[in-house]
Amino acid sequence: MPQQVLAQASSNSSPPASPQPPRPRQQAPRKQERDLQHREAPAPPAMAAADEHQDLTRAFAGMGGLGVDEAALVAALGRWRRQPERRAQFRRGFPGFFSASAGAGIERCEDEYLRHLEDEFARFRDAAVLWALHPWERDARWAHYALHGAAHPRGVLVEVACTRAADDLLGARRAYQALHHRSLEEDVAYQVKDATAGLLVGLVTAYRYEGARVSEELAAEEAKALAAAVKAAPATASAARLVQNEQVVRILATRSKPQLRATFKIYKELHGKPLEEDFAGEPCLQEAVRCLDSPPKYFAEVIGRAFREDADKHAKATLTRAVVSRADADMEEIKDAYAKQHGAKLADAVAKNTNGHYKDALLAMIGK
Amino acid sequence: MATNTVSQVVPSPAEDAAALLKAFQGWGTDEQAVIAILARRDATQRKQITLTYEQMYNESLLQRLQSELSGDFERAMCHWILDPDERQAVMANAAMKCIQEEYPVIIEIAGTNSPAELIQVKKAYHVLYKCSLEEDVAACTTGNLRSLLLALVSTYRYDGNDVNMGLAKSEAKIVHEAVRNGTIDHEELIRIVGTRSKAQLKATFSCFKDEHSSSITKALLHATDSTCYLRALRTTVRCIADANKYFAKVLRNATREAGTDEDTLTRVVVMHAEKDMEGISDAFQKRSSVTLEQVIAKETSGDYRSFLMALLGS
Repeated sequence: MPQQVLAQASSNSSPPASPQPPRPRQQAPRKQERDLQHREAPAPPAMAAADEHQDLTRAFAGMGGLGVDEAALVAALGRWRRQPERRAQFRRGFPGFFSASAGAGIERCEDEYLRHLEDEFARFRDAAVLWALHPWERDARWAHYALHGAAHPRGVLVEVACTRAADDLLGARRAYQALHHRSLEEDVAYQVKDATAGLLVGLVTAYRYEGARVSEELAAEEAKALAAAVKAAPATASAARLVQNEQVVRILATRSKPQLRATFKIYKELHGKPLEEDFAGEPCLQEAVRCLDSPPKYFAEVIGRAFREDADKHAKATLTRAVVSRADADMEEIKDAYAKQHGAKLADAVAKNTNGHYKDALLAMIGK
Repeated sequence: MATNTVSQVVPSPAEDAAALLKAFQGWGTDEQAVIAILARRDATQRKQITLTYEQMYNESLLQRLQSELSGDFERAMCHWILDPDERQAVMANAAMKCIQEEYPVIIEIAGTNSPAELIQVKKAYHVLYKCSLEEDVAACTTGNLRSLLLALVSTYRYDGNDVNMGLAKSEAKIVHEAVRNGTIDHEELIRIVGTRSKAQLKATFSCFKDEHSSSITKALLHATDSTCYLRALRTTVRCIADANKYFAKVLRNATREAGTDEDTLTRVVVMHAEKDMEGISDAFQKRSSVTLEQVIAKETSGDYRSFLMALLGS
């Protein structure tokens, strides 16, 4: 059975990072069975070795969702108390995660698996710590991480810059200065060396007008300018890209959010499709438009992506980030958007796809 | 240091408002009385007087001043009466009507305010014009000038004294490379000038001078084409490197023999009288052999002159 699971994992065309922890959906029936057992009998009856193995594996987040099922793990530990031979059998029965080490004469743990375990055990810790931080410090730390870790998706920067209110973004910039003795824009401008630099600096330095005043005339004019930019964007990547287009960057980085929404609306009316579709070749632009247009829709989408089978490390981390940062803001709207997008309640999806304290924490933040 | 002196004993806002009304009444206006009151009050006191006047007499003090006074004096006084943040927002907004010539106003506001003060100016702009300063600056400029001005007004610079000398050296090198070839790499220049903290920039400028024995501004002077953008870039560098020296030069240019540029003179004096006029005045005197007061006394006249002199503290 483990072989089959590993084969499935390796067949996933996922980013080169780590081999995906196996997540066989066919485990679901077993989970229900096991849950039933737990509820019925305080001391579970003796199980077959295979069941116990699966149990322990599941408890170790070897398979099935985000976070660790701490209760099941403790139960498994208790069940195999003073039975090292059972544990050794378990390790031998899982050649994907434990491999025979001839020199030491033991079954040693694969480094990948250890890293995976670390990630999953850390999920609750990260969620709790992030929740405790001031929102500005939280955003500053995320921004710093996005800039200075190797190969971290810059999408976090776009998200923070575009979904926070003007004074919150300013607060995050001040927190960043307090933490790092440099301004956020210095670091963005210095670290981002690709074509998206101009847009990112613009978004991160915005201090938008927050009033409701909207000029329909201006919206129409700028919708036209955006359309012209889209049309002029060359098909090949060699010439100046759409993300560097002066008009596009100017409009997205300076206009107020209500004004932008009016512009997006007019664009859709004029061209029959939303602007983000025409920006599909530039993920940075697309994400900026989505965040500016409707943060709840955007967050519902990224949360949905975290639950998918092929979700990578960053997609999964987004779940914590989205819930913790929006719990006090627009969680209700996110729940509505999620229901509309995925046909299921967010709370249900979280309950299904996460485990243990992590699950409880998320559900507590999401609310009913 | 501010140069305008607040009276030792300050009457209540109601008394001041009454005195102002008296100055407005009858034939003509008693300009000296207006100056004697308003030039000798600080920003908070002026705000109180404005509010009290409106409460007592049911008309806006600003509008009354606009109708009673005229010319350069009126323009100066009506800017003086505003809150410092509002004043700068109003000046920035006016500058955008003719940005190719008035870009120094934007650069001065962006370059001489502390990051926190700049935020206050932007907030005042939101309230006054129902849109952001950045939007308007971006919409009325194009190309490199836009990139530069937008970066300057948007940035929230680190305010501390931490300087990374290694970085200063490497960025001085980047600037040198960028300027040397004649074709300037604007992106890097704008990035450095538009995001680094003032302390860091000063270190970079001084590294440049040490390495290449001439300042950046001189190096920029020798660039091939003199577009508005390049002039703006030089203005930015000068304004950040040494604000007092910069303003002293602006004042010297504004008070030259062939006609005085009252608008610029007003702008500098009114914007800085209660901030750092003393430093500017000293820098002025160091470069010319005369004091600023002497020059203003010579080049201006009438109530306008009296008002400026009062602001300068004489």
